[in-house]
Amino acid sequence: MDAAAGETSVETDDPQPRARDTSSTRDYLLAIGIVGISTLVALALRPHLAPVNLAMVYLLGVVAVAWRCSQAASVVASFLSVAAFDFFCVPPYLTFQVSDYEYLFTFAGMLVVALVISTQTARIRAQAAHAIDREARTKALYRLSRRLSAQTRVFDAARTAAELAEEVFETPVVMFLPDKGKISFRRRTSDQLLVSSTEEAAAQWVFDHGRKAGKRMDAFSGSAAFYIPLKGATRIVGVMGVLPDAEGRVFAPEQQNLLDVFANQTALAMERTLSQNAAETARLQMQTEEMRSSLLSAVSHDLRTPLASITGAASTLRAQGEKLPPETRQELLESISDEAERLGRLVGNLLDMTRLETGIELRRDLYPLEEIVGTALQRMEKPLAGRQVITELPESLPLVYVDDVLLGQLVVNLLENAVKYSPAGTAIEVTAAANDNAVTLEVRDRGAGFAEGEEQRVFEKFYRGKSDGVRGAGLGLAICHAIATAHRGTIEALNRSGGGAILRVRLPLENAR
Amino acid sequence: MKPLILVVEDDPQIRRFLRATLAAEGYQFHEALTAQEGAAQAAARTPDLILLDLGLPDHDGLEVIRGVREWSQMPIVVVSARGQEKDKIAALDLGADDYVGKPFAVGELLARIRAALRRSASAAQDGSDVVSRFGKVEVDLEKRRVKVDGQDVHLTPNEYKLLQVLVHHPGKVLTQRQLLNEVWGPNHTEQAQYLRVYVAQLRRKLESDPARPRHLQTEPGVGYRLVVDG
Repeated sequence: MDAAAGETSVETDDPQPRARDTSSTRDYLLAIGIVGISTLVALALRPHLAPVNLAMVYLLGVVAVAWRCSQAASVVASFLSVAAFDFFCVPPYLTFQVSDYEYLFTFAGMLVVALVISTQTARIRAQAAHAIDREARTKALYRLSRRLSAQTRVFDAARTAAELAEEVFETPVVMFLPDKGKISFRRRTSDQLLVSSTEEAAAQWVFDHGRKAGKRMDAFSGSAAFYIPLKGATRIVGVMGVLPDAEGRVFAPEQQNLLDVFANQTALAMERTLSQNAAETARLQMQTEEMRSSLLSAVSHDLRTPLASITGAASTLRAQGEKLPPETRQELLESISDEAERLGRLVGNLLDMTRLETGIELRRDLYPLEEIVGTALQRMEKPLAGRQVITELPESLPLVYVDDVLLGQLVVNLLENAVKYSPAGTAIEVTAAANDNAVTLEVRDRGAGFAEGEEQRVFEKFYRGKSDGVRGAGLGLAICHAIATAHRGTIEALNRSGGGAILRVRLPLENAR
Repeated sequence: MKPLILVVEDDPQIRRFLRATLAAEGYQFHEALTAQEGAAQAAARTPDLILLDLGLPDHDGLEVIRGVREWSQMPIVVVSARGQEKDKIAALDLGADDYVGKPFAVGELLARIRAALRRSASAAQDGSDVVSRFGKVEVDLEKRRVKVDGQDVHLTPNEYKLLQVLVHHPGKVLTQRQLLNEVWGPNHTEQAQYLRVYVAQLRRKLESDPARPRHLQTEPGVGYRLVVDG
């Protein structure tokens, strides 16, 4: 699966490390030793067995060599065995001369059998080793891909891969990430690697050239570690540094191969998180842009309209004041003052919203809800003129632990909303009730209520109800929502039976000290 | 003699319309553009009232209040930007008489100025009325009796004390701290919720609709004001 996919993309042009020299010398010595032991056994058995049967002792020796050592060593053992058999077991002893020429046939048969044993055993052994190796590889790569898939940040992906690589290769592995086009030793997954200018130069070279370098490689062979580029599909995302142990086991071809696959998978995963992050950033940026432009268009429209009326009325008065009839002058003056008030409310709302969004500190204390509602009604006296306001605030209401200014603003905004969205002259109700956990405050009107699906949207910034002729920035209820949330309360919009809207604020009583 | 008002304000546009409206109302006025100049003018001219902006270029307007209060009880009406309750409380606690939030309507400002001048005049006479009336409420400060619609209303001693303090400063904003200090004493100035409960009880006894009080009005985040006219 993953391993197979990785293998196909492994590069083959890398310099192969010079390995296995030490182990082969040992193999030859072992082969010679085993032939020696076979000879001793044969010598011991020589008085009792026919020479042809002593050949079997040597063949057993060759099997042993083939099992333990390299194929070359067992081929050597095969020839040595035939020679030793001739020298020690075929009369005349201790010479290579042969008295009976039929032994030549024995030698030939023995050599062929020994060589076949050597090659076959070596092949079986290689296959077994390969199978084990393959399983380990598959397992390691499976773990790698699983762990990498969970990572959403490029540095975490790199660190995860480095940790797993250390487990699998049993040697320190460090991933280096670039910082503005340079491999940065500061952006590394651990500090197990010596920081020196040689190492940094090697890592940088690998990053720049996309080829391996370092210890036992063509370039930078003097460094303590070797470096593998982390090549993604489109670019190099980092460098993997491996610090080999004294035995240099990681230089074995299959280990090198596995390292390459490891590096490849890690690079692809890192590249994936990088592009995900980039996409996420782009999305957020777009959202912010969108919000900013909708804010700008809403605000500039709402700021300009009253400003235009004020400027127009004021300039008319200045230019033609004398010629205008007194009623017109009065009208213009009223429009100036009304529009200025409207502008003031809008600026106030914008300031409130900004303050709430930047997270202001609540100045909370215990207040009778009645007082807060009363103050709000007083502030709304003018807009509420001509309306019947029915208040139902039971005397038994507990004190609420709130910021009185903010909660007052919330009630004012709810009242403003009711006035705006219900026909003039209809009654507005303000009621409150309490249970053990919470105080609920409701403002109800007899307007059109909310359109289907609108109940949530009304709390969004700059959202305006569909009713015609209603002016405002669409901030009032958004501010209510922000204030309720700041008090750990909730606010919901409901349609009232018989027509109209209910705005319900719920303030938890856990706050009461 | 027309009352003299000292306007301490750095914004030229606001000074311009204040000048127009104060002149139209028949007040004399002087202008100061900085806190330092304001304090100097207050001492040199001893105005009948100071109209003080808190956001001045050189010092905080609060410094002017502190300085003037060291030697004079002349009324000070503060003009401050909206949403700065902390500043309002600080100004009132330092001895300012009232505040008007920016932006404000001229009518409101003139009403505050008139009320402050009236209070200072009656304080100068020292013989304030023994019976105070607002709406349907009648408070006899000598006999310590309160009537609503001509009917006797029973108040607890603390309720009466609270009402008395408010009646002594008609139209003036009293901060929570000031009220707590006057009614319960200097050791209880942090327990504002008592005050609120007592105000709520007073409203139930004196106001026709306690949820929409006409007289015992709350200044959110600041304190209370007894509105006697209107």
